Amino acid sequence: MSVGVKRYRVGAILKYVFLVAVGAYFIVPMLAMARFAFQAVPMALLTPEKLFSGWSFSGLGTALTDPEILSAAKNSLMLVVLAIILNLVLLVPLAIVTEVRNPGLRPYLTAFTLLPWVIPPIALVVGVAATFRATVPWFLASIFSLVPFYALWAMPFTYRALDAGLQAINARTLYEAARSMGASLGTIIFKVLLPNMRASMVAASALTAAMVLGEFVFASLLLKRTLPTEMVNYQRGDPRGGLALALFVMVLTALAIGLVVRSLRRRGLNVQTTGL
Amino acid sequence: MRSLFQKENRLGLLVALPFAVFVALFLIYPTLVVLYKSVMPHGSFSTSALVEAVSGTYRTGFINSISLSFWSALIGGTVGVLLALTMKSLTRPKWLHSTLDAWSAVASQLGGIGLAFAFIATIGAQGAITKVFMNFGINLKDMGVSTTGFWGLVVVYLYFQIPLMFLVMMPAVNGLKASWREAAAIMGASGARYWRAVGIPILAPSTLGGILLLFVNAFTAYATAYVLNSSYALVPLQIRFLLQGNVITGKEDLGNAIVTWVILLLLTSLLLMTYLQRRTLKWTSS
Repeated sequence: MSVGVKRYRVGAILKYVFLVAVGAYFIVPMLAMARFAFQAVPMALLTPEKLFSGWSFSGLGTALTDPEILSAAKNSLMLVVLAIILNLVLLVPLAIVTEVRNPGLRPYLTAFTLLPWVIPPIALVVGVAATFRATVPWFLASIFSLVPFYALWAMPFTYRALDAGLQAINARTLYEAARSMGASLGTIIFKVLLPNMRASMVAASALTAAMVLGEFVFASLLLKRTLPTEMVNYQRGDPRGGLALALFVMVLTALAIGLVVRSLRRRGLNVQTTGL
Repeated sequence: MRSLFQKENRLGLLVALPFAVFVALFLIYPTLVVLYKSVMPHGSFSTSALVEAVSGTYRTGFINSISLSFWSALIGGTVGVLLALTMKSLTRPKWLHSTLDAWSAVASQLGGIGLAFAFIATIGAQGAITKVFMNFGINLKDMGVSTTGFWGLVVVYLYFQIPLMFLVMMPAVNGLKASWREAAAIMGASGARYWRAVGIPILAPSTLGGILLLFVNAFTAYATAYVLNSSYALVPLQIRFLLQGNVITGKEDLGNAIVTWVILLLLTSLLLMTYLQRRTLKWTSS
């Protein structure tokens, strides 16, 4: 008996040691980043006595008021809004019609929206440069050329979120019920389905925003000035301010995704953030 | 079979067409052009570009990228599964579940320049952990754990690999029913026997599928590696080099050929993954 109890205790202790180790792995880099960003004491000169000296948010303040950063942030926000709109305009009607009219097509659409996974940004950018650069140079010269590609990468998780939303409200039954009571298609879509899909649309939009705010491959290789590319430039001139800014953006994104995920789980809507 | 153009299907066509045109124009067309150009380098069929893309420094690139993806997927996969199993066995601190859940959703998306910056402050030359180990007389850089070395990159990549694996595995682990374990115990099976005969066979497909997903995820990661060490021989960084040097070196076909290999590699992994996922669904959907 005592052997069993002992073994159980060792197992429980191992469990907590493991959890603490994983937790430390996740937390330490963030703390180190915060220290570097907000404490103006080089690591080499940091001694226990100096642990609490030199802390300030001035680096973040300077970075946040830098005109280059501000204009890049404006570009990024514009891309966020446009990518979300394009994505929803393309996918919301498609998801609804597929669900209520041709449910047999759902698996194909699910597979189809996974295509951006097979052709990742770093591969597609070569094709984009090889095709559009020669045929429509004005297109790639504009910052708006990023919009369709950002919408493309948001497709896998957007479609899944919309589809999960439609499944959760039993869209086909609602559609048939409304139809049999004589509602027009427009009434069904705008008064029945869309209001019920608000949660999944918010979730998809938040994930799209997080993705666009962090996207680096296309912006960097097509030489566009967005928040991530400008952040790399800025960090070269002001390492502390650059890290402070990156941490600030990361915390904001994390809070946004975290809030959305939690509110969705509470509604019982299991949206896969991984896009699979 | 009704015709696609009959009246009741016109609505379907109306919503499907813009979507299809969009995907065709921005995803499929550029991809097909790359695939075509990689086997027709100078307007005629030749495999020279495809061969060159996997020789010399580009071979090194593929080897480095594949080993980086392999190790970060294997370690991240193992830790992710263990994390999911541990969390399932712990019921008590309720906040821990929701926190870890939300945090994983966040961290699995974090592979970017912010993450690279965080690790520069941690295991970079002036990093906090580098300094701590230095105090104990251990030089992390000599062990390959620096932001520019191979194992350093593995350590950084794990930051988004572990949470991704946790998210992918949670449904499968939750699908392990307590009644199976009880049934095994009643029939006299030990804990080890239960895992060998029931737990591992059921978790194996989704674990392998998850590891493949992590492999793909690491192989295509770009921003983190670029910030940490832009001259490292990794496929995504070499693609960047070729793309930006296009005009001068005229190595456009080489870039196309590398991308062709990448797409083949990802396609194989993802097909395998879909197959494994289908096997998992059999057990978890009931």
